Amino acid sequence: MDSSHTPSSSSEPQLREHVYDGIQEYDQKLPNWWLFTLYITIVWFVVAWLAYYQFGIGTSDEARMDSFIAEQQAAREKQMGGVTDAQLWEMSRDPKMVEAGKATFMTPGMCVTCHAPDLSGTLGGAKLPGLPLNDQEWKHGGTPLEMLTIIRKGAPDVTKGMIAWEPVLGVKRVTEVAAFILSHHKEGEPVKLAADSPKLGGAAAPAPAPGTAPAPAPAPAPAAPQAK
Amino acid sequence: MTTKTTIEYNDRVVRQFMLASLIFGVVAMLVGVLIASQLNFHQLNLAEWLSFGRLRPLHTNAAIFAFVGNMMFAGVYYSTQRLCKCRMGSDLLSNIHFWGWQLIIAAAAITLPLGYSRGQEYAELIWPINIAVALIWVVFSINFFMTLHKRNEPSIYVALWFYISTIVTVAMLYIVNHLSLPTSLTHSYSFFGGVQNALVQWWYGHNAVAFFLTTPILGIMYYFLPKAAERPVYSYRLSIVHFWSLVFLYIWAGPHHLLHTALPKWLQLLGMFFSLMLWAPSWGGMLNGLLTLRGAWDKLRTDPVVKFFIAAVTFYGMSTFEGPLLSIRAVNSLSHYSDWTIGHVHSGALGWNGFMAAGMFYWLAPRLWKTKLHSISAANFHFWIGTFGILLYVVAMWISGVMQGLMLSATTADGSGLQYTFLDTLQSIRPLMALRIIGGAMYLVGFIVMCWNLFMTIRAGTPYNETREVDVIERGAKDNMGWKDTFINDPVAYTFGALILIGGWLFLPKGSDVVSLVCAVIFTGLAIRKFNQSSQKWSFWYEKLLHNYLPFTILTFVAVVIGGLIQIIPTMTVNTAKNVEDRVQKLYTPLELAGRDIYVSEGCYNCHSQMIRTLVPDVMRYGPAPEQGYSRLGESIYDHPFQWGSKRTGPDLAREGGVRNNLWHYQHMMDPRSMSPGSNMPPYKHLAEKEFDQKALPGKIAVLAKLGVPYPAMEATAIKLSALEQGQKIATDLKNSGVQLEPNTELVAVIAYLQKLGQYEQPKVEEDMTKKKLGIPFPIKPGIPDNFRSAQVKP
Repeated sequence: MDSSHTPSSSSEPQLREHVYDGIQEYDQKLPNWWLFTLYITIVWFVVAWLAYYQFGIGTSDEARMDSFIAEQQAAREKQMGGVTDAQLWEMSRDPKMVEAGKATFMTPGMCVTCHAPDLSGTLGGAKLPGLPLNDQEWKHGGTPLEMLTIIRKGAPDVTKGMIAWEPVLGVKRVTEVAAFILSHHKEGEPVKLAADSPKLGGAAAPAPAPGTAPAPAPAPAPAAPQAK
Repeated sequence: MTTKTTIEYNDRVVRQFMLASLIFGVVAMLVGVLIASQLNFHQLNLAEWLSFGRLRPLHTNAAIFAFVGNMMFAGVYYSTQRLCKCRMGSDLLSNIHFWGWQLIIAAAAITLPLGYSRGQEYAELIWPINIAVALIWVVFSINFFMTLHKRNEPSIYVALWFYISTIVTVAMLYIVNHLSLPTSLTHSYSFFGGVQNALVQWWYGHNAVAFFLTTPILGIMYYFLPKAAERPVYSYRLSIVHFWSLVFLYIWAGPHHLLHTALPKWLQLLGMFFSLMLWAPSWGGMLNGLLTLRGAWDKLRTDPVVKFFIAAVTFYGMSTFEGPLLSIRAVNSLSHYSDWTIGHVHSGALGWNGFMAAGMFYWLAPRLWKTKLHSISAANFHFWIGTFGILLYVVAMWISGVMQGLMLSATTADGSGLQYTFLDTLQSIRPLMALRIIGGAMYLVGFIVMCWNLFMTIRAGTPYNETREVDVIERGAKDNMGWKDTFINDPVAYTFGALILIGGWLFLPKGSDVVSLVCAVIFTGLAIRKFNQSSQKWSFWYEKLLHNYLPFTILTFVAVVIGGLIQIIPTMTVNTAKNVEDRVQKLYTPLELAGRDIYVSEGCYNCHSQMIRTLVPDVMRYGPAPEQGYSRLGESIYDHPFQWGSKRTGPDLAREGGVRNNLWHYQHMMDPRSMSPGSNMPPYKHLAEKEFDQKALPGKIAVLAKLGVPYPAMEATAIKLSALEQGQKIATDLKNSGVQLEPNTELVAVIAYLQKLGQYEQPKVEEDMTKKKLGIPFPIKPGIPDNFRSAQVKP
């Protein structure tokens, strides 16, 4: 053990007298950089709290989120608002779009999981969660726009249908997927509504509960209303 | 005149705890390597009781309570006796403590794989075991304080300060967070639901890290490091400042686990700022450890014990720098729910706790068995393979966390969609998860080498109980401080004065709060002036305090209780009905409740969160409709326990209900990869074969009603009937799709629950508002609405 510990000058560290089971302690001054770190974080707390709560600097999470989502929705509707049936048929004949749509459709975990690679909604004779997309019977309407709306916004009663893909895939890819599906159909082919189609029930269709996705409008709606 | 006496230390119990820690260390790490492998190789989910969701709680509980717990007790029992110059208070209590703790561990090792769980992290054990833990902790406390009481060393050394703070704080945290109402011998619901449960859980969870994995180990560092280095501790006054700032600030930091969630923003901000303030106090401990070695750096080359201690302290410094960094809201939005956090805790657990344990065991074994360490080169090998193992692990998790975080936030070029699916991000981190397995396995190999080395050491020696001749100190030389001396003096008065004024700034209405802040600043200035004038008097008072263990304990308790009270009381007394943010979740039907309990018991929360944060990518990915926005308070207000989660190994499920149809869920639960190719989720086929517990449902609903969930009065038979009817509906729906599933199976209940997730309605304002309930709306500053997260129903 260090025995020359008597403090000769004030710069020497002081060794405290007390010995605990052989352990001694110096009484060094606190390192300045360490103290400043502590002080700065404390001052930062006070200043930041003042800024938030006294001077109202900074946006609230709510406001930030609400405005972003509203902007995003508006941008989407602007992009999709003008789309017509004819345009969609046009796209379905564009091999580049169809190819891109196919790539998305066939990505594992995406459309193909429930609707099968051949769009039949069955795999090896077993029914998959999705409905067939290669016949002329449609649950939610068979016009290109109705189809696109279902892909974009999901089924009205989501427990029995599919999810809204637009927020996940973005406008470009949902359009491509619609083009890919339409490429399996011909313009002017007969469209039949399925027996369980909510469109047949009209008013009898369950109104969506508040909080679930708003029922998709038959035609692309203007900017979706905000939750508030 | 001093009388001398010869005492024999109770080193037997130290040996017992040490061996238990070694054994459970191997178990905890083996399970760790297994579950890390399961994340990459789903086939390793060999049976229902060996699936990730059930084993992960076993891993965390074993690492914390069995490995570090036993190590901590070994260190505390060894050093406390020597620092107090007396044998432990009671051999009987020591024995009860040891065997009781091992019984608890055994009970945990059986119940967790069987799926008995409270569904809160590191607080999974069921209520009868909770009571046992609390009782054994009381036994430990009594034993410890009896030792302090009869000590032959008037002054209390800094290691003991840390042990004291551990004992009182863990007791407080554990009891409050485990308050629950039993529905059966093996099941209970937490007193707290939704946001309240979240706050209390992370107040506990974060401070389990603070007061179970940090403070006792700091105490151990203060004893064993100077012993091994044979050098005086660097600075006594740094010990004082960092001890008191650490224990006071740590308790406030819990909400940093809940940033961007539905937790009111004032709590989030407190959590963030207090975490930042914690940086310096934590590094105070690191400095005192590292700088103690000044003048003895050569030992770093020759002595494996010193090597482990210094590496441990360095890892402590690293993780206590990373902690404040991760608690900054902007960083947290990327790191939270990702592997980054997993890397962070392991640099603490493996680097700090594991290496402190190793250093201590290498130091203790030769002394407890009176022999020499069997092999120094094996210890060196342990050191290097362990160090590289941790670094590999941590670096892999950093990259994985940042990469997955960035991928999950990436949007398409026009910003209207997301670039990657969740599965894409999972595939991209697989190589990193593989590296993590290798890093963890390397660490485990080093640990096993240590076990072998110690086993050989023990075999060469014989158990040895140290005896020592000590001076018996007279009564009156210690523990002579009265209440007045303790509380009425300048240091205490100035500290509390400043704290009260700062509290006034936080909570007083507009206008007077700023006045309070100004007063606090002036008052702090006065305190500094007073300290400079009479620092001798202040340090004399503190030295006197060190001669008095009870006043010291009381002041410690006061320091650790303040943060919790300020955060929890307002959250508890709040009128929940007024604070649902315009949405209130629809009550679970009996079947959905049964499904929820299965979800909890299978440990789904270990991989799936139920919280859409106030972040754009979260809302886009999990909305499901963007206009639904982020999760509101009311959407989980009746959840006992809350299931917001802390890690997204799988996607968030907050609004899973109705997103997919029953058939999809059935296929996915039976074989996750049929619906999600490349998924690493374990299959849950066994749920299709077991019946859900109908009989327990009426009791469970009654308990929930008692806890404030507004269930209407229902007959027991009506409850069971409702469950079966709803099950029948799902079974029929599945049958129409060609799948045969009995309506009374657990799988049907889980599907019902999953389909309910995220369903909410408008609160019935008039009815709920008129309920006579104590409560003020968030925040607790009634004069100033929290315009950063107004949690109130608009009338």
